Formats: sequence, structure tokens, C-alpha cells
Amino acid sequence: MSATSIIFYFLATFILAAAILSVTTRKIFRSAIWLLFSLIGIAGLYFWLAVEFIAAVQIVVYVGGIVVLIIFSIFLTQQSGKEMPKVSSSRILLSALAIFFGFALTYLLIYQNGFRIENKYFDSDIERIGTHMLATDNTGFALPFEVVSILLLAAMVGCIVIAMKSKPIEK
Amino acid sequence: MFLKKYLQDIYYAVKSLLIGMRRTGYYFTHHKEIITQQYPDNKDSLSLPERFRGEVVMIHDENNEHACTGCTACELACPNATIKIITQIDTTPEGKKKKALNTFVYHLDLCTFCNLCIVACPTDAIKMANTFEHSVFDRSKLTKILNKPDSKIRAGIE
Amino acid sequence: MPSLENIADIIHTWLNITFNSTTALLIELVIVAVSAIGLFSMLGLILIMMERKVSAYMQVRLGPNRVGPKGMFQTVADTLKLMVKEGMTPNGADKFLFNLAPFIVMIVAMVILAPLAFAKNFQLWDLNIGILFVASVSSVSVIGILMAGWASNNKYSLLGAMRSGAQIVSYELSAGLSIITIVILTGSLKISTIIQSQSDGWWIFKGHIPALIAFVIFIIAVTAETNRAPFDLAEAESELTAGFHTEYSGMKFALFFLAEYVNIFIVCVLGATLFLGGWMPLHFGTDTRFNELMDYIPSSLWLFGKTFFLIFIIMWFRWTFPRLRIDQLLNLEWKYLLPISMFNLLLTTLMAIMGWHF
Repeated sequence: MSATSIIFYFLATFILAAAILSVTTRKIFRSAIWLLFSLIGIAGLYFWLAVEFIAAVQIVVYVGGIVVLIIFSIFLTQQSGKEMPKVSSSRILLSALAIFFGFALTYLLIYQNGFRIENKYFDSDIERIGTHMLATDNTGFALPFEVVSILLLAAMVGCIVIAMKSKPIEK
Repeated sequence: MFLKKYLQDIYYAVKSLLIGMRRTGYYFTHHKEIITQQYPDNKDSLSLPERFRGEVVMIHDENNEHACTGCTACELACPNATIKIITQIDTTPEGKKKKALNTFVYHLDLCTFCNLCIVACPTDAIKMANTFEHSVFDRSKLTKILNKPDSKIRAGIE
Repeated sequence: MPSLENIADIIHTWLNITFNSTTALLIELVIVAVSAIGLFSMLGLILIMMERKVSAYMQVRLGPNRVGPKGMFQTVADTLKLMVKEGMTPNGADKFLFNLAPFIVMIVAMVILAPLAFAKNFQLWDLNIGILFVASVSSVSVIGILMAGWASNNKYSLLGAMRSGAQIVSYELSAGLSIITIVILTGSLKISTIIQSQSDGWWIFKGHIPALIAFVIFIIAVTAETNRAPFDLAEAESELTAGFHTEYSGMKFALFFLAEYVNIFIVCVLGATLFLGGWMPLHFGTDTRFNELMDYIPSSLWLFGKTFFLIFIIMWFRWTFPRLRIDQLLNLEWKYLLPISMFNLLLTTLMAIMGWHF
């Protein structure tokens, strides 16, 4: 076994273990922390694949953004320090079934199609990613980029409208 | 105008912060300004400020005379009963009876050095001394008698 | 003349001759880890000493002056004290997370060290997205603080962690925008390219006013991000005893304390790299005699000199300005720094397109 595959299996085990712990722990804050480790592991996987840009974005968006927001909402929730009640057995059964079918579907897809290995050079140069993102020709992604920007802008305006205090009407 | 006020705010903020930084920068580069006394090393050359409050003492002149009339104004002014004045009744040569000081008891261990007794004294008989090395091995040594033995009141002080 | 580059080369060739390449790589990894830890502990000792002396002189005091010559070994004594102290874990704490948090903060600081260039050709990992990597990984350290605050099961810790989180998340924006200003001028995220682009003058000189504004905003934002006064609400002594590390003692507290100083060092290296040319000596245009003279000073000295200059400025801030209130803190970020840095970004873009910089 080469060093690369050792690192891959290590990362994969880390991600899976953290993910399982994240759904089985009964303390909600620990659950968020395990989710964080799982996401960091995925970022590590991206680094392993040498797509540094995606890895860094994964850390910025998921770890630095989403998990911090989750932790903040946990902080602001009442009684979040207490242990959650035990899950009922019917729920465990149902989730086990869901996991089983999901796994079966994935396995079936992989078994039937297999992984195609292409020795194509994978271009992850940050400059070209940037140019592609804002190019207006056929290969560019300027339109989706702008659409996403407008969506985020709408979300931001919505946040401000919700958070804004309406001034009391003066008589 | 909004923009003008905004820029003005930034200008004044930066200006006032720079004034503060200039002051600390001045102190950082001018080590002569340092006021720290390296106490046990400079015991000989140590000079304390005039108004430093170390302990209460009674002023005696060269004739072993003080100015305390035993009026107990300081005892009344003291917030935590540091001073206890024991008086006696003297008989003057004319045969008049007069209250005079017998013993001025001063509990250094109770004193907070608030200076109220000195302010209260009508005859300026007591003052704050500069001494500060008060540590002793026995608490009873902190109870002091301020008037020196055989001292008497200066003539002419009522 | 021995430089860091030569020493690294000598070790590398010797290891590759003596062992096979895999073993040599592993040994090199160990050497890197050990020297990173060594650098951190040295930084801790030096920076804490420096802080205490700077603060003393700014407050017209003498500072530590008993242990060793001029008190130079005071921090060594303090470290020894912290090492032999008991690291207690409170009863009500979430013990696992409580013990994990200081290590998270420390590991994050170590990971950020990877893409930084300390001297000419002396860099652990010159990756494509160097600056983005630093910016992204540094956002993880807030998790360690939040974790410590929560796991302590203490109201002061929780409040401190909340404040710290709000502060770091908001000031990351203006720090990022001021970093982007330089990235626009350079056209690259790679740290070696950024430094190379300053061979004929540092960006703070070449970039005129926009670079200067970006520099000031960067310094303010990183002071806030490292939770230092005047932005130290997260550990405001008078209100929250010590904020998120109230319950920590012994070596675990020392790790938090060390992480604060290491983070200052890292952001100052970053500031020196972006605005003051990293290890690049001071060069002016085509004046070759002056440039050659400057080249005689080793590149590592240049970097550490610039870094310590920035650290001194940050310390100067700390011992001059009073602490901000939480609403003032957020006002400063959202009403002043962010609009200014966005406007500055536009100005820089215009300047880069028109080629107005040198």
C-alpha cells in the first residue's frame, strides 16, 4: 500500500467516524463539533486531490461560516446544554432502513457503472478558475455567477428587513 | 450633509487616536520620565513625595513641646476609631482647672491614612509622616503613643 | 554566508544521501514539526517579554527587572511556573471538548505557518492559493474559542466566546477585503509571487493611497481578529474575569496564551508579506548601488524586522487605546471599516486596470 492510499484511507475513516459520532452523540454541541471535524476531513480530502481552491472554499464556507452559525444558534437556544432524550427504537429502525437503501442505491450505481479512470490533466489553476467564472463567452459562467449573486443579495435584503426595527409612529 | 459628517468623524477619530499614540510613544522613547522606585536597592537615596501618607505623628519642637490641647476633634473625626485620647485635668498656677492631654494613643493597624484627623485638628498638632516601613513581628507594637514622655503643651495654645 | 535557504538545502541533500527518499521525507517532516514548535515557544518567550517591557515603558514604569539581566528571564520563570501547575478541569465541564479546545487553537496556528515565507526560498509549502489558505484556516480558530467557552460551563466563558465569535466573524470581512486589495495589484494568491512582485518596491509605496488605506484597515482588523485591546471584549478583565479561558489553568491556559501571541506573529508576518514586501529588501526603482547595499542584509532579518515592527505597532495600540464597547465595535466594523474597504477595493481595481501604480 502506497503512502497516498494510506492517507486516503486515514482521511476516509476520519470523515466517516466523525460523521457517525455526529449523529449518535446526545449532546447537541458535540454533534456540531463532530460535524466540523467531518467537514475538515472532507477539506483534507480535497487537499489530497490537489484541488486547493475547493479545499480552501470548503473550509471558509462550511467550517468558518456554516458551523460557526450552527454553534451560535446552539448558544442562543434554551436548554441546549442538556442531553437529548434517547431516540425511540422505531426511529432507529427507520433510519437504519433509510441508510440501507441509500447504501444499496449507491452501491448499485457504482457496481453497474464503475469508476472510469481518465488520465486527463485536471486543471485547478486558480487564475483560470477566476477567468472562467466571469467570462461571458460559451465556456464562461458569468450568468450563473450573477444569478447566484442576486439570490444572495435578495437573502441579505430579506435579513435586513426582518431584523429592522420599525419606528413607532409619531403622533 | 451625511457624507461630510462621515468623513469628519473619521478625520477626528484618526486625529484623536494619533494624539494618544504620540503621548505613549513619547513615554516609550523617554525613559527619564519613569517614576518607578526600585525600592530595596535605592533605600538610601529614596525620596518620597511631600504629601505621602505614612503614619500620623505629633509635631514636637526642640523644647519637647507639642500643640495638642486634647480636644479630641481628631478622635471624633476618625472613621474607624484609630485614635484614642486620654485627657487629664491640670490645675494652672492661677488655680483654674484645665483639660490637657495625657496620652495620645494611635492604632496604626486600624489606620486607613485618610487624613481626616489632620484636617480636623484645630491647632495643627499632628501631621502625616513619610515613613512607610511599618512591618513588625507583634501586633501590639503597632499601638503607638504619639506624645513623647514629659512633653507638654506649648504656651499660648488654647 | 549561511542563510536559512542554505541550511535547509544542506540538511535536505544529506538526508537524501544517507536514507532513501521516503525516510528522508519523514525525517524532514519531524524536523519541520520540531522547529515549528521551537519557533512557537521562542516566540512565546520573546513576545511576552516584549509586551511586558513595551507596556511598562508606555505606562512610565520599569517592567520586569528581577529575574536575570534586566529581567530577561522573567518569561522563562513564568513558563516553568505554568508547567508545574495543575491543569484543572471543572466538574460541570464537557471534559472532552474542554481539553480539546486549546489544542485546536494551537494546531490552527501551526497549520497557518505552512505557506508563510520566512526567508528567500525558505518556505514549507508554496501552494497555489497561499493567501486564501491562510485566510480560510484562520477562520477555524474561532471554533476553538467557541468550544472553550461552551465546554467550560461558565457564564463568563460563554459570554466571552459569543463576543469573540461575533467579533472575529465580522472583522474577517474587512481583513479579507484588504488582503484582496493586494491580490488585485499582484494578480496572484501565491505567496512567493506576491513577494516577487515587490522586488522593485513594496506595495505600500507602489500602491499609493489605496494600499495605505488597505494597510491601516488590515492592521485594525487583525488587531480585532487576534482579540487584543482595544478589541479585547472577549476577555475583558473588568467584566468577564478572563472571557473564554476563565476556567483554564496550568499548561492548557498557557496554550491559549501562547496561541494569542503566535497569532499576532502570524498576522504580522502576513501583513509584512502583503504590504512590506516579505523578505524582500528595501529596493527603490533603478538605484542599483542602494539596492545592492540593502541586499547584504539577510532576507530572514528583513522579514523578522518588518514583522516585529508591525507587532510593536499592535502593542502600541494595546497600551494606548481604551477598550471598545460591543456596539461601538460592531459600528466600527459595519459602518466604517467595511464601506471604506469596499470603496477602497473599487479604487484599487480602477488603479490596477488603468495601470496607475508603479
